[in-house]
Amino acid sequence: MQVKRKTPMGIWALRGVTVAIALIVLLVVGSVVYSAYEDYSAVKAELAGGSKQAVGAAVLRGSMETVSINITVPNNGLYPLNVTLTCNYPTSNVVCQRTSVDVSPGGEGVLRFRMTVSDVSQFENSGNQVINGTVAISMTPFVGLTVGTDFGGFVKPGGA
Amino acid sequence: MYGQTITTRKRITSAVWALVVNTIFWIVIPYYVGVFLAGRVPESALTVPIFVYEFGILFTILEVGAAFFQGRAVSVPLISAVALLTVVYIWDATNGGLLGVETSGITIALSFRLMLYVLVLPSIWAAIRAPLSYMVWRRAMKTGISSPPTASTV
Repeated sequence: MQVKRKTPMGIWALRGVTVAIALIVLLVVGSVVYSAYEDYSAVKAELAGGSKQAVGAAVLRGSMETVSINITVPNNGLYPLNVTLTCNYPTSNVVCQRTSVDVSPGGEGVLRFRMTVSDVSQFENSGNQVINGTVAISMTPFVGLTVGTDFGGFVKPGGA
Repeated sequence: MYGQTITTRKRITSAVWALVVNTIFWIVIPYYVGVFLAGRVPESALTVPIFVYEFGILFTILEVGAAFFQGRAVSVPLISAVALLTVVYIWDATNGGLLGVETSGITIALSFRLMLYVLVLPSIWAAIRAPLSYMVWRRAMKTGISSPPTASTV
């Protein structure tokens, strides 16, 4: 004989908490994935030559070269976006200006990055033309992405 | 639901079903995911076969036990253990929310610790919920809050 029992109130309360937690997780994960996709699409379009392209220039004055990169960072996601650019080089011949921009949802910010090579010929003959650059993108507060790559390619011997 | 009469045949069927499903879910799939991640995301514990096997076997044993003893007090610690083990598993598999990839001179590091806390929340709640649920049922059965038994099927 199978017995049917009325579900106690406490069980309904526990089920309620379970549903609430599931909804929170779903909302957080869904919004983070959505934001990441939207931000990625916007930045990709920007770099591919959208309406406001990333502008870069290498200016050579004597033996000193200044590399300037201005990137418009749109934020189409739901979370504040922070983008930071840094780089480092073993000697003081290459100096990078750490730059960071905070972009609120729906807005856009401009990232102005400057890198100065005091002596280009010394840099070219040094045997180490790798400038460790770091691009940190943080979707506050949930996800942070750090990309480490070589910024040495930005240095053009004759300027550009 | 606790206090229900479950036949031994039904218990065995549930246990066999749990064995098949959990072997696929906790051993076969993670193994292939680990093979895919090996060399790409070395920080993930899923790339270590012994991790996959050990956790897979533990999960399967606990889940089979929980399925066999469903509705009984002994299933409570098994359900909680599975939930807590899931937390450890997710934490180790994602290296505590810090994963890195290195490919052709570019290093990519992904950090999502806060997101991980959110992801393990259901498992932590499941571990707490199992004994609470049992206590509520026990109390209800003792105090007779539940309605008198009605014969639905014989």
